[in-house]
Amino acid sequence: MKKTRVLWLSAISCNGNTHSFLNYPYLEQFLSDFEFIYHPVLESDYSLEDITACGIACDILLIEGAISSEFQRADVAITQIIESYAQEVKKIVTVGTCATFGGIFGENDNVTGLHFDKEKRTDTFEHYFDKTISISGCPIHPEVLVNTLYAIKKELLISVDKFLRPKEYFAYTVHNGCTRNEYFEYKIDNHKFGTLEGCMFYEHGCQAPYTQGSCNKILWNEVNSKTRAGLPCMGCTEPTFPKQNLFHTKKNMGIPQNLPVGVAKRTYLTLAGITKAFTIERLEKKLFDD
Amino acid sequence: MIKLIEKIEGEAKLNFNFKDNKIDFVDIKFMSTRNIENILRGKSPLDALVINPRVCGICGHAHLIATVGALEDCYDDLKISNKAKTIRELTLNFELIQNHFKWFYLTMLPLFGHKQQVLKATYPSQLMAKAIALFGGQYPHTSYAIVGGVVCEITEMDKIKLQHLITETIKFVEDNLVKSENFSVCKNIDNVFKMEGDLPNLLRQIKEEKLLERGKSYDRFIAFGANSYFKKGKSLKTRVSHAISLNYVKESEIPSSFAKNVSYKEKYYEVGPLSRAMINKIPLVIDAHRKYGDSILSRILARVCEISQLLEHSKKLIQALDLSEPSFIEPPVDISQLNASGCSAVEAARGTLIHKVEIENGVIKNYEIITPTQWNLSGGTKDKQGVSQKAMIGLSDIKTAELVFKSFDVCSVCTTH
Amino acid sequence: MIDKKQLKKEQIIQSALELFAAKGFYNTTIPDIALAVKMSVGNMYNYFTSKDVLAKEIIKYISVYLGQKLREINEEDISTKEKTRKIVEIYFKIASLKPEMIDYFLRIYLSNREVFKDGCEGMICVNEFVTEIMIYFEEGVKCGDLREQDFFSAFGLFMGYLGGMVFLKGENILPRELDAYIDDISHNIYKALSV
Repeated sequence: MKKTRVLWLSAISCNGNTHSFLNYPYLEQFLSDFEFIYHPVLESDYSLEDITACGIACDILLIEGAISSEFQRADVAITQIIESYAQEVKKIVTVGTCATFGGIFGENDNVTGLHFDKEKRTDTFEHYFDKTISISGCPIHPEVLVNTLYAIKKELLISVDKFLRPKEYFAYTVHNGCTRNEYFEYKIDNHKFGTLEGCMFYEHGCQAPYTQGSCNKILWNEVNSKTRAGLPCMGCTEPTFPKQNLFHTKKNMGIPQNLPVGVAKRTYLTLAGITKAFTIERLEKKLFDD
Repeated sequence: MIKLIEKIEGEAKLNFNFKDNKIDFVDIKFMSTRNIENILRGKSPLDALVINPRVCGICGHAHLIATVGALEDCYDDLKISNKAKTIRELTLNFELIQNHFKWFYLTMLPLFGHKQQVLKATYPSQLMAKAIALFGGQYPHTSYAIVGGVVCEITEMDKIKLQHLITETIKFVEDNLVKSENFSVCKNIDNVFKMEGDLPNLLRQIKEEKLLERGKSYDRFIAFGANSYFKKGKSLKTRVSHAISLNYVKESEIPSSFAKNVSYKEKYYEVGPLSRAMINKIPLVIDAHRKYGDSILSRILARVCEISQLLEHSKKLIQALDLSEPSFIEPPVDISQLNASGCSAVEAARGTLIHKVEIENGVIKNYEIITPTQWNLSGGTKDKQGVSQKAMIGLSDIKTAELVFKSFDVCSVCTTH
Repeated sequence: MIDKKQLKKEQIIQSALELFAAKGFYNTTIPDIALAVKMSVGNMYNYFTSKDVLAKEIIKYISVYLGQKLREINEEDISTKEKTRKIVEIYFKIASLKPEMIDYFLRIYLSNREVFKDGCEGMICVNEFVTEIMIYFEEGVKCGDLREQDFFSAFGLFMGYLGGMVFLKGENILPRELDAYIDDISHNIYKALSV
């Protein structure tokens, strides 16, 4: 089968997605099915100047990093490079939260994602909206990116949410599959950093119940996730990333301002009130008794 | 003649000036900046733990460790357990190791005309990333080191898993990089030339292509990030002194480039694995340096050597981890109550990384980052050339110049933070 | 049929409430209540298997009743200040029209925790009511009207104040009707809770 030709184009980025991609465990397989006409780290047949000078044949355009009309690669405006390849390719994939929503670098003026400035639609590349898939995340999960590229190669129909993210990966919340779930379910709210026990939602800003992604379904580096380790979810797959005061839960009179996605406040508080009435000894104790 | 140097985590433009067919001066230019320091201003200090790793995709963990150090330096009476310190040191070691594998296989070997061996870079670096994720939840871009310690708790079972990851990485080194069990204790570079493996092969090629003496600079080294393995100090042609102070580190603007110059007592110093090895007096590297000076050979050797040393040292650190200690100790006052400033220095893959923070009424008033590549690539004038500039002088072709330039393991994204 | 049974249940609850208020919780027996609703004791047990079960059902009934009233206020598009006044108003109105209800809450539910320990742990049996108070607080802080503080310090101030006034009224210590205090009390509460 013919290799699918991919252009990995970096805009304003930290290369975190590039390196996260290199953590994909079955790269040999991937590289036998795909060919990078350009990649920030891997060897390619073309130089950056070749890429910017003329249209090299390409099937999928990957964009990493936030976009600004002032940003250039090899003296050519990034917007111009995107425009020239976007027309030709079958699909565009925004790789990471910067390319999708602006992300961290979107904090600078006039820097946005390809189609979104945080939640707001932008119009510069609107005509390519329908051929774009967003893989958000800071960084992307390598498996989510690779499998999406295979789905494009196989011309599968990819069902996406309103931010163009594949539902298969982004319909879940990061909360799904967290090993600290029971502490959330039963409202045990005395989480302390440095412990295996407890849920970071109440005090320490964990955004997992209202952040969409598969972090706890498909583990990171095949071994762990931030919330499992004890680090609050920072909401890095969402258009609002980065919010402020990330290690602190915003509460109003003790009630978390942001609730699990799709759960009405009244429903949440009713359930919380009931579970809080009980003491579950197993969850009050350390997991392992000495 | 201007050449665009690519695949250095971004690009840099090098303008080569020739005189009598030899490079006489190289002007180094970075074309963009991402204003991380501006983004941090006005934010909660702890948010820097999330934002700063995003300075760089390959050495972001060093930025995390530097950030937490700078924030903790704002306290007078903060307690950190030895366990937390050791865990931080371990994950930073793992990041250095993964970087060195990638640099050797993805950047260096192709420059010597070999096909890029992607899997040789990714297999061991993935093992190291797993080891970081075991503590930090994921790699890249974890923020698991927080003011007061680390967020994770680990068990004896985790230690076993970690040891296996390290053993597997050591095995990879012995099966591929240097096929000898004696490499980590070897003291004579001549013996390495006789060994088998990707490193000895490359060293022999350097010899055959008469590049042994290439890439020499000031022979001036510095490292600030002391820990249980690295020592702080400077080295001037093997004369090592440990009495150095961050007060003498100066950052200055360059009109033509987005990168800023960094000097120590008005002089440019090389940072990175070769500097650390010189200051730590690693016998094999000292021997290579005695024979070939601060050349590309010494730089390549020092970087690969560091892989083995850090793996061995990490093994010891894991063994010594006292799991009964707390991972995290609550700071005496919340950081939102502080008016203070702090700074820290850590050894990142490419050398000394310095972070400075100023907190006013609990929010970041000022943040300053000095990256290793800034040290090595400080662009001086013709009369006062930077370290990498000097290393390229006298070369007759641009290909070799690029090799010398990349022997510093340049990181564009860090430099243009 | 279900509606009829439910109606009967509410009738029993209402009679029990009145009897508890008049004679006290411990002095009221199931036969007393059966007599008041003109029902055999045997049949009465078809509705509530014991006095403790009845006691718990009553508190839930009150919580649902009060919760419903507060929910209507919460769902109105009005300022936190107006909501505060309306909550005070409805609370005093119920205390005047159905004194036995508030009386039960204050004198029986809060004073006889042993009766409620099994099945009414924490705030389970007053969940509907507390949930609405939480929503009132949460939305008040979110829109910038109320000051952020611990839930219970605000809850105690609000409910302790209202409960105290109704208690004083019940003891015939208050010189005027509860209605006469609505303005001042709403003002005081809002002032204490606002930013």
